[in-house]
Amino acid sequence: MALFDKDFLTKLEYLSIVSRKVFRGQLMAQRRTMQLGSGIEFADHRQYTAGDDFRYLDWNLYARHGELLLKRFQEEEDLHVYLLLDCSKSMASGDPQKFDLARQVTAALAYIALSDLDRISVYAFANGVLNHFPLTRGKARILSLMKFLEELRADGEGTNMSELTREFVLRAPRRGLALMLSDMYDPSGFRKGLDVLRHHKFEPHVIQIHHPAEANPKLLGDVELHDIETDDLRKMTITEKHLRNYRDVYERFLQSIRDYCSTYGMGCTITDNSITFDQLVLNMMRATGIA
Amino acid sequence: MSFSNPAALIWAALAVPIVIFYILKIRMRRVPVSTTMFWQQVFDEKAPRSIWQQLRHLLSLLLQLLFLALLVFSLTDPFFNSDVRQQRRVIVVVDTSASMQAKLEDDTTRLDAAKQQIQKMIQSLKSRDEMAIIVAGNQAHVACGLTSHQRTLQNHLDNIKATDGPTQVADAVEVGRRLLADHAKGEVVVVSDGCFTEAVGIAADPKVVWAQIGEPADNLGLTRFQVRRSLLDPIGFQILVEVSNFSQTNADTSLDLNFNGELLDVIPLKLEPGEVWSRVFEKTSTGGGILLAAIAAEDQLPADNAAQAILPERLRIPVTLVTNGNWFLERVLAANDVVDLTVTSTIPTELPPGGVLVLHQTVPQKIPAGKVFVVQPTTSTDLWKTAGAVTEPLVAKQDKENDLMKYVRLDNVLMPEANVLQPKTEFKALVEAISGDPLYLHFARPEGDVIVLSVNLDQGDLPLRTAFPIMLTNALSWFADGKGELVEAIATGIVTDVSLPPELQLLAQQNSQKLALIAPSGSKTLINVEASVARIGPLAEAGIWTLGTPLTDEQLQAITQETADAQAAFPEFKIACNLNSPSESNLRPTQDIIPQQEALQAGFGGRPIWFYLVLVGFLLIMVEWFLFQRRWIS
Repeated sequence: MALFDKDFLTKLEYLSIVSRKVFRGQLMAQRRTMQLGSGIEFADHRQYTAGDDFRYLDWNLYARHGELLLKRFQEEEDLHVYLLLDCSKSMASGDPQKFDLARQVTAALAYIALSDLDRISVYAFANGVLNHFPLTRGKARILSLMKFLEELRADGEGTNMSELTREFVLRAPRRGLALMLSDMYDPSGFRKGLDVLRHHKFEPHVIQIHHPAEANPKLLGDVELHDIETDDLRKMTITEKHLRNYRDVYERFLQSIRDYCSTYGMGCTITDNSITFDQLVLNMMRATGIA
Repeated sequence: MSFSNPAALIWAALAVPIVIFYILKIRMRRVPVSTTMFWQQVFDEKAPRSIWQQLRHLLSLLLQLLFLALLVFSLTDPFFNSDVRQQRRVIVVVDTSASMQAKLEDDTTRLDAAKQQIQKMIQSLKSRDEMAIIVAGNQAHVACGLTSHQRTLQNHLDNIKATDGPTQVADAVEVGRRLLADHAKGEVVVVSDGCFTEAVGIAADPKVVWAQIGEPADNLGLTRFQVRRSLLDPIGFQILVEVSNFSQTNADTSLDLNFNGELLDVIPLKLEPGEVWSRVFEKTSTGGGILLAAIAAEDQLPADNAAQAILPERLRIPVTLVTNGNWFLERVLAANDVVDLTVTSTIPTELPPGGVLVLHQTVPQKIPAGKVFVVQPTTSTDLWKTAGAVTEPLVAKQDKENDLMKYVRLDNVLMPEANVLQPKTEFKALVEAISGDPLYLHFARPEGDVIVLSVNLDQGDLPLRTAFPIMLTNALSWFADGKGELVEAIATGIVTDVSLPPELQLLAQQNSQKLALIAPSGSKTLINVEASVARIGPLAEAGIWTLGTPLTDEQLQAITQETADAQAAFPEFKIACNLNSPSESNLRPTQDIIPQQEALQAGFGGRPIWFYLVLVGFLLIMVEWFLFQRRWIS
């Protein structure tokens, strides 16, 4: 079955409508930025300084009080949505692959953003940025985005999120919403990468996707574990007790993601890949209200 | 140490695949995972692997190799040479006679106690020892041949059942001696209660080990029980009962006689120790059936407290009397309870089946076929020629041995006149006058016997004498061919010939001279029948045995569905069988028997070495299983 079939497109349209009607378009687009400029909505006044545009002087106020005050307007601008898609080998695990769900969710979120007249850009990464879908706008671009996503392969060597974000902030022309779709299996920790985004005033949102077998493995006995990202081999004898410990460790890992996002007011969605993309997007809308 | 099967060492080659599997196992199963960072955390939290954990795979390999070595070693069936030198051959003779059914204090029987003793002997067998079990029941036979396999011996021992018959220990010991041959360490062990006459001699035999079972016990038993039809009374029968008291105390009991389930008589009995009480009872009944005698004694041997016998049915005889009138002859025949009398003046053309024709004075020229009794013939026939009369014939000669003359004495009988008969064919004179003329004679014809009395009944006192009805009764019994007089109750353990009634003979002919002998318990065996005689025995079970059709139950059922009158199609013949053995009823063995129980057991029974090797092997498997589990479940 193709990754983006006709049924997928139907669901995308549905999600777009739901996003607009139920959430009043507050999912991503039409967000008020904190930049003041040439919008139509009044914000406040400030003292006139030399060189200011006379057109924005509040003459009525000058007539009444004799002070030269400049009217300030809140500038409306389209939102920049950056979708950071993990293409490391670990995303290829599971059946169906976690990568498939990640790509579908990427396409869905991009479509919603494009429908809301926002600009989107997709960065495929592993231990750095592997590929890049440039900033674009308009619903018509969704097809080329899908083509881009379909051509992506989860074959990146390792996961290095700090390297990705350092490269990303340099490339991103403007700040905006940064949605990270990944399993977050970065041996050096996921925090460094998200910290970089935070420090550069991006609004990160974490979508952690894992396979149920990663949370609750069924391995027992003498096995040789092969890390498909690093090619590391570890011989071990796994007992029931080890499995219990593993489940604890993994749950602590997921909890640490939740805690981090909660601490810094970031959106966080944690899911396994048994869920469908549309259900996941709806869950995101309901639970976090990305806007 | 030697090996019975050194070729089994080839199985040691299985060590090669075990080592290969071990090496393959060391390579471990490779499992791809998304990341090992969580596993790393899990194992980093634990202490470094102990030496035990490092070595446990190697230990598993060693355990498996050791297990294989034990199995291979056990397959070679190793044995110690000393076992071969000390190999025993034990022949156990177990008495299964009726006395072994005697109950012990714990409500078990002597046979149960014997089995327990033999069981101990089986358990004491060493791996190279051999044992055989011979059953000394009705017939001595080998229940289990020489074997070292304890389970086989035990199974055969469990299947041994007590019989109601006498013992054949002497024969069984002889069979045992033949099985022993010249074995250096052979012994015949007799397990018996010693209640038989040869016990002392067998126990004294140095080559026989005697294992005494049971203690002397009191017993009261029926030692004889028979019934027969009365020879004088057509409807009477006589019962012979003998009760013996083998107790050391007085016996106060009663004897119940039942006929076809109805109480016939109750006789109170008081017997001194060792007394044998015998009595003949006379009863009457035309019908036949089963007669049961039972003594109300709660002793240790119930088998001899009851006995059964078959009373044959007195068959009714249709008699046609052709006479112009003779009151005596008519009355004598009419008075006979088994006679269906028809009086006529003309000779009938046909007789009913089994019927007897009595011709008085008037005789045809040719005596008709069938059984004919002729009184005072006046004319010549194809069998004799009349030659006048003889007056005052004196009886000179009587054939007293002949059944027709049983209880008949004509010495003092006044006979004024008799016709002189000159036989034309072969005959037998039963009574002769001084002149040599036969007065009472018998012609044996293929088409039916003819008995002729030439005496004039109208004169003289013969009709008034008791001899006259006896003569007629004898003649009728003769015509009946002695049937319906006696079906002897046979004793268990003996072989006897049984005369079959015509319907059974016919049944045997229809079934290739075979009949089924059905035991009281219902088990069926086929026996061969020669002409009119069936040889049966030795019967092991007391009760009513039945000779009947050899068809199987399924065949019978199929025929019954087709034929409504199936019972008539398959006649049966019942035979009573009783213990009737004073030696078996006497539960007091001879005191001279010295038990030699200490020689029975050879100490702790040894199992073969392979058994222990396999046992150790299984222990190793358990250890390996434990190690295996530890690898999977902490």
